[in-house]
Amino acid sequence: MKSHRVPWTAMMAAAATLALPEAARAQAPAPATPREMVAAYEALADTILGANKTEVKLVRAILAATYGHAQGEMARARQALKANDAAGARAAVENVATAVGQIGTEGDNSVAGIRKRLLEGGHHANAEGERQGIFDDGYVVVTKTAKQAFLDSSKALAMLAREPKAEALDAEWKKVEAAWAKHIAPAR
Amino acid sequence: MEEGRGRLGQAHRARQVVAGAGLLALALTVAPAGKTAGPAAPFRFVDVAARVGLTRVLEAGRPGKDHLLDSAGAGAAFLDFDKDGRLDVYLVNGWRLEGDRVAERGRNALYRQRADGTFEDVTDRAGVAGEGEWGSGAFVADYDNDGWPDILVTAFGRNVLYRNLGDGRFENVAARAGLESPGWNTGAAFFDADGDGWLDLYVAQYVDCTLESVLEARRTLWWKGLEQVAFGPFGLKGAPDHFFRNEKGRFVEATEAAGLKDLALGFGFAVRAADFDDDGRPDIYVANDSDPNYLYRNEGNGRFKEIGVTSFSAFDGNGMAQASMGLAYGDADGDGIPDLFVTNFSEDFGTLYKGLGHAFFEDASKTTGVGPLTFRPLKWGTALADFDNDGDLDLVVANGHIYPQIDGHPEAIGTYRQKNLLLENRLRRADVPPGSKPETLFRDASAEAGPGFELVRSHRGLAVGDFDNDGRLDILITALDSPPELLHNEGPAGSWLTVVCDPGGPAVPIGTRVTVTAGGRTMTQDVAAGDSYLSTHDPRPHFGLGGAETAEEVVVRWPDGTRSVRKNVRARQFVVVKKGS
Repeated sequence: MKSHRVPWTAMMAAAATLALPEAARAQAPAPATPREMVAAYEALADTILGANKTEVKLVRAILAATYGHAQGEMARARQALKANDAAGARAAVENVATAVGQIGTEGDNSVAGIRKRLLEGGHHANAEGERQGIFDDGYVVVTKTAKQAFLDSSKALAMLAREPKAEALDAEWKKVEAAWAKHIAPAR
Repeated sequence: MEEGRGRLGQAHRARQVVAGAGLLALALTVAPAGKTAGPAAPFRFVDVAARVGLTRVLEAGRPGKDHLLDSAGAGAAFLDFDKDGRLDVYLVNGWRLEGDRVAERGRNALYRQRADGTFEDVTDRAGVAGEGEWGSGAFVADYDNDGWPDILVTAFGRNVLYRNLGDGRFENVAARAGLESPGWNTGAAFFDADGDGWLDLYVAQYVDCTLESVLEARRTLWWKGLEQVAFGPFGLKGAPDHFFRNEKGRFVEATEAAGLKDLALGFGFAVRAADFDDDGRPDIYVANDSDPNYLYRNEGNGRFKEIGVTSFSAFDGNGMAQASMGLAYGDADGDGIPDLFVTNFSEDFGTLYKGLGHAFFEDASKTTGVGPLTFRPLKWGTALADFDNDGDLDLVVANGHIYPQIDGHPEAIGTYRQKNLLLENRLRRADVPPGSKPETLFRDASAEAGPGFELVRSHRGLAVGDFDNDGRLDILITALDSPPELLHNEGPAGSWLTVVCDPGGPAVPIGTRVTVTAGGRTMTQDVAAGDSYLSTHDPRPHFGLGGAETAEEVVVRWPDGTRSVRKNVRARQFVVVKKGS
């Protein structure tokens, strides 16, 4: 992320100018926001807008990591099933279910805690989307539609984890892949 | 008090003596028990609280409810603290504020039931007024295994743990026991997480705030663009829940070690321990306000795993987190798998999570009728219980809004003070032809449930218990700035059986599960300390038997996995089942 240092000393000097005695100001040109303050605000705006973009990138990275984890656990589940390792398959499929659920909820409970903190501070990544009912409060990338798709798959996978069958598992995983391709993979 | 020192067997005999007798002295209109449930008006409840002496007003902040603490209210508990066979009542209290100053610190109340069915206030004698804390909930369990039920009072401030001394007095041992846990403590549940015979404890916390912020609170949230109301919980900081491991009477903070760290800082309100996946180990469900609910599965090695999302009990069927307040646990649809009902905010449905087995759920709110019937009011305490003894679990819900300001716009969503709801379960309804199903499992029976369901208040806590031992379940309800309601069940109920579990040690057999088979039906109940909204129900599992006069089998599964079995048990009695028998 590009660093934007706010020239606070210049800003304070400009503010002091505004506080000149009335007689002195009467000689001054028409009031305008001091250039130093405008520059400082520009820099701050870059920071704010840059942070929003960074937030999207970070959440996408979290989702990608979670999806990668799910893919890894799927591979482990398939191997376990081939090896007739029922316990190993159960554990792996449950991990897949958990990871897919975490894609739906845009991160695990740790991330939810951070999202909540941002909301406490009044930060809504998709305020307009929330108003339109497209996003849950504080969600950055995962829409309500996407969330539902991943939650449905998460539950289906969790139920499969009790007695994993390769065919059913693959069928459900295809749905996860499709949801990922449709809702998450394309950068907006 | 001497008779109260007897063991449960004696208590049971005392119960038989007092059953149905005490309240006759009050000339209450008690219909004869035993009449089979008919197709119409199977319910009749009458508020007898004032008549029997339950009068303590629940202090609740300021009239305008400027902070959420003003409107959170407090819970209640049915318990038999002196073991005389009659249920006593414990009421938690808050504070009354005037502007930004504390006007009165409300006192909790312990009411001992007399033989004539009235209650005497023994708060001072027992020493259980609440230590000046702003109380939240009451949770009754024998945490030190001395044979006497103790009371945990959660609080905004420091929790209070009243140890029952066995002579009618209690002492606050919270600091000594390691349970004060300052903060806004709300729901709690005692349960034996690790199977060591000692009850561990989960305590939810709500919002991270100080008394100063409560006193200085101003109504700044716009409600529908019409009124400014109390702010939150969105925009406030959640407070973490805690888990305490019981090490022979001393509690040790073990939240993180047990895998129960509240990472999302959910706004915790209600907690229920139960064996959701039927593996013999108690799990924990936490209802969070405006956040996803948690289901912690007990992994059996002293650790838990949060499976709310994958179990489908974190969100409603639309994937939405709801503003959850209270909960009820029981087999609503009679399929042998317990279900979970969660109460939520107004203009949102109460969610009936149908149990699918192995701790999986699906949202059955719409199909069962529960969703539409509960949509409008703001819902709090609740219970799944068989109020007409027809063999299925009805649903009671305590209602009341948090914004008094809505009274200026009753056309919008109703009023601040609200009636409670009684939903009749029609699984066993007599007028439904055999083989056919009613349109929805539940119907709203509130209007036919007698004057007790006409009361309009801002209700909160709710506990169910058969306080007069007549075989019909009564309802204790708290309400803001009001005395409690004790809704005496005077309905023409069917046959019943209440099981008194005697574990031979602890006074309250938390985690015990009772299964009764009668008339071709099998029903299961468990014993919990922590339920509904900030409340504790009667610890004696109650079963409606419909027309059956005998239970073919009663099976008690004790927390250690052992079982006690009774065959051909006569109905209409409190049957005592001792561990090892």
